[in-house]
Amino acid sequence: MTFSLNMTFSDLLLLLPEILLTCWLCVVLIVDFSLPRLPKERLAYLSVAGLMAILGCLGWFDLNHISGTLFNNMFVLDRMAIFFKIFILGATILVILASIEYVNRFTFFRGEYYCLVVMAALGMMFMASANDLLSVFVSLEFATLGFYILVSYLRDDLASNEGGLKFFILGVFAAGLLAYGISLVYGETGKLVFSDMASTRATPGLIIGFLLIFASLGFKIGAVPFHAWIPDTYHGAPTPVTTFLSIAPKAAAFAILLRIFLVALGTFKPLWVSLLVAVSILSMTYGNIVAIAQRNIKRLLAYSGIAQVGNVLIGLAAGTKMGSDAVLFYLLAYLFANIGAFAVVIAVGQAIGRDEIEDYRGLNRRSPFLAFAMLLFLLSLAGVPPLAGFIGKLYIFVAAIKEGLYTLIAVGLINIVISMYYYLIVVKQMYINEPVDPSPIGISNPMKAVIYVGLAGTLVIGIYPQPFTDWVVSATLMFANFIGPSATVVPPSSPLGG
Amino acid sequence: MGEYALLYILFAPFAGALALIFVSNRQPLLVRSIATSAAFVSLIASLYLFYAYDPVKGGFQFIQKYEWSKQLGISLYLGVDGIGTPLVLASSILLFAGIFVSWHIKDRTKEFYIWLLILAAATIGVFMSLDLFFLYFFYEMSVIPMYLLLGMWGSHTKKYLEMTDAEGLKQRDSVGFIFNFGSNSKEYAAMKLVLFLSAFAVIALMGILLIYKYSGLNTFDILVLREQANLMNIPALGTTLDKIIWVLVFFGFASIAPLWPLHSWSPVGHAAAPAATSMLHAGVLMKLGHFSIIRVAFEILPETTRELMPIAAVLCMFSIIYGGFVAFYAKDTKYVIGYSSSSHMGYVFLGMAALNYISLSGAVIYMFAHAMATGMLFAMAGWVYDQTHTRDIPSLGGLSNKMPFISACFVVGCMASIGMPGTVNFIAEIMIIVGSWNKYPLQVIVAMLGIVLTLAYLFKMMRGLFYGPMNQKYSHAHDAISTVDRLPLLIMIAVSVGFGIFPMHLYDVVRSGVDPLVARITLVVPVAETGEGVGMRSKATPPEKTSVPQAAHTPISHTPRVSRGGRE
Repeated sequence: MTFSLNMTFSDLLLLLPEILLTCWLCVVLIVDFSLPRLPKERLAYLSVAGLMAILGCLGWFDLNHISGTLFNNMFVLDRMAIFFKIFILGATILVILASIEYVNRFTFFRGEYYCLVVMAALGMMFMASANDLLSVFVSLEFATLGFYILVSYLRDDLASNEGGLKFFILGVFAAGLLAYGISLVYGETGKLVFSDMASTRATPGLIIGFLLIFASLGFKIGAVPFHAWIPDTYHGAPTPVTTFLSIAPKAAAFAILLRIFLVALGTFKPLWVSLLVAVSILSMTYGNIVAIAQRNIKRLLAYSGIAQVGNVLIGLAAGTKMGSDAVLFYLLAYLFANIGAFAVVIAVGQAIGRDEIEDYRGLNRRSPFLAFAMLLFLLSLAGVPPLAGFIGKLYIFVAAIKEGLYTLIAVGLINIVISMYYYLIVVKQMYINEPVDPSPIGISNPMKAVIYVGLAGTLVIGIYPQPFTDWVVSATLMFANFIGPSATVVPPSSPLGG
Repeated sequence: MGEYALLYILFAPFAGALALIFVSNRQPLLVRSIATSAAFVSLIASLYLFYAYDPVKGGFQFIQKYEWSKQLGISLYLGVDGIGTPLVLASSILLFAGIFVSWHIKDRTKEFYIWLLILAAATIGVFMSLDLFFLYFFYEMSVIPMYLLLGMWGSHTKKYLEMTDAEGLKQRDSVGFIFNFGSNSKEYAAMKLVLFLSAFAVIALMGILLIYKYSGLNTFDILVLREQANLMNIPALGTTLDKIIWVLVFFGFASIAPLWPLHSWSPVGHAAAPAATSMLHAGVLMKLGHFSIIRVAFEILPETTRELMPIAAVLCMFSIIYGGFVAFYAKDTKYVIGYSSSSHMGYVFLGMAALNYISLSGAVIYMFAHAMATGMLFAMAGWVYDQTHTRDIPSLGGLSNKMPFISACFVVGCMASIGMPGTVNFIAEIMIIVGSWNKYPLQVIVAMLGIVLTLAYLFKMMRGLFYGPMNQKYSHAHDAISTVDRLPLLIMIAVSVGFGIFPMHLYDVVRSGVDPLVARITLVVPVAETGEGVGMRSKATPPEKTSVPQAAHTPISHTPRVSRGGRE
């Protein structure tokens, strides 16, 4: 293979968001070093300002349908990549705003915290654009590197160190699997770019290679049976990092999964559907059942996150254009609800100093706003109308039922009821139980902003989803070329299989 | 202006709830007046709707359609027919009354009214949805407010739920016991209610999704599905798909109705709930079940309905008798009324199962009538509880001296619940009984026994509460004196008696909704009607083969007089 890098200046335009973000990262770093007396929250606002500008740039890209590939198809900028980049940047902005208060807990390197968050975001933006296996590997490890440090940022806290170590060891192991899988796939096909692989035949080596790649990505999204690191890491990590970890890398990994399964493996759909169905059922059921037993809100949300990933996988298992729309839409609904819920956890943790569910006793009396926000976020996660999560779940179920995945849908529906139970346990603490200490809980302004954004997203998507469905439908248009129109006609012989 | 009536009815409570968010709890009067005015707008609009609905034209009227999601084929499609109209009216009457009944709530007044308004608006939304998605949307939306209303403002059921018979032997609801973990807390009641309803709601959702898929029309529009969906004769799991869908939809929605043996969440929920919530719960929330079955199963799967509806005819007997007996042994006032409600819902199922013009109209009118009657009873049980802080019937007594107005109203409430002539319940009951006699004579006999049982437990409760020696502990109890306290009861009594004496418009409206439905169900494959003239005279039961619905337009107002003898 020969590499010829003929790049023009206009090609670089495709990389503009990443280039800008890199520059901005350096600016923040330099400002941090050169003005040591500057209050660190200014750095946060500085980063947010830059991210907002880049978000605007991406919005402009999206409106003008700018797309193209770079570096021999390693890097692709299509509308789905833009969707995920906007998604990741939005999540990053919210996380930075939510961490401003929390950062004061760190003894050292408060300024670098923001740089690391932005760096992780940069890595994930590359993940959203990764179009061949090499760029998947590089961008994935780049993004994870930032998280390894962030998770163990509370240096004096044993849980944080433990979480960081677990995350690191398992993460490195997953990276090994990924590298091995890539080498197998490359050895079998001689190709790295997803769209070139579409025509290859299924050989044992190829299947094993893809299974290894799936395992490694399953680790990133935290699907059962690759979930073991999630509870401890989420529990130990600083809560804003948990927030970030629970949403952005999952979304970026789903971007890669969508490309792999729908583009590279689109022709092997009958082979991988049952794999995804199994993983999805396991994730939903395990996540929801174990979540019932949790006493700590962060662990509860960790397990609920495992279950939510199972839900997203239903959309992927459908393996159609509509399924991919549903995945994107669900992630959008999940973004607002999850960041919002974690923002409330941060705010309450800041006031009380603990994150046990027991501490939410009587939150409605101490801070009606926080309690109401948490109620809506949890109900959205549970999938109660008229909130975003309900539409997301319905979208996914509709996409799956068109493909006849009845067992999967039945399990998904049962899991809604199970999840309702543990979310309502938290609601019960907040609303029904009386507080031990009735002093009101104050909220800082940036935190309020995050919660308002979360509430607005959760309610608007739930009540008027049309613009958002339009967006996700146009974002996944290119999949229509790789996977045929959905098989609406199911052989009447066994309509209730699958 | 008039054509937007549905939007006013539906969105006035939502708007009220939204406005309440911005009001402080320190201004309780402002909170109450906002809630009242929201409910009032809804009430006026639904009264307009009820009288402006044209029964001659029939069909779905006041239609509003807004596209909501192209990809999923969903639109906000609202419209009422003769079945939805009275239920919308009942919901808004009960909401309006409920706001006055809960006038004295001091704790977190604002939140209470917010959730009450959302609950009522969600139920109203179900009654006017012509889109399967929105039907489910509003249905599921009504569950969470129930959780918070029960949990935050409810009361523990304590030991009241223990029941003893005359010899002092312990009795219990053994069916309820299967799902009973022995807890008497309101949290338990609330959680049980939510999980039960959600669990069965997702079963119904599965049915809805199957309809969506196999119709292949990419739409949730009930009217389109009803005309074009062909779900018959698709083999699945050893039977046919339409049967599977029907069973999923029927049992999914029957749990909220509540049909025996899926009833156990309901009385416990009633007992724990604050008065206004019980009113809405028993008055309209339970009717969501029947209504959704009519809307989804009857409309979309008429042939399967004709085939499988006998299931309901069997189960409704158990509902009636079982609920009646438990109500007889229960000691908690709200528990008695709760079981009485679940027993009375059996009549609605009987009326639905018989599938003819008279019985189905009777079922719909019964839903309306029962909403008023049970609303009154719960409002008064709530008043007694507020005054005495107990619902334990044996420890109460002689309250009629202290509260003559309430005890007088209670008599009226009991009469309405039993179905005395002069109340709308009587008309409904007699229509169900007359209409079902040909097809289900056994069930009709059971239903009559149920009436006797109703008489027994309601009179027993009335005697226990208001007559006999008085417990001096409750000498501080006082009557409902102010207008605010009397208004809700007077409204419900007026509606109940008013429609009892002048039922024609209500009857016409209901008939206009029921006729095309019954014609559809029974005409698809004509059923040979052999039981003609077995019991009641044929004037009341038009032969089901009659193809033109208008031919069945026998004025019902004669029927009660003709067939009165069969009741006692």
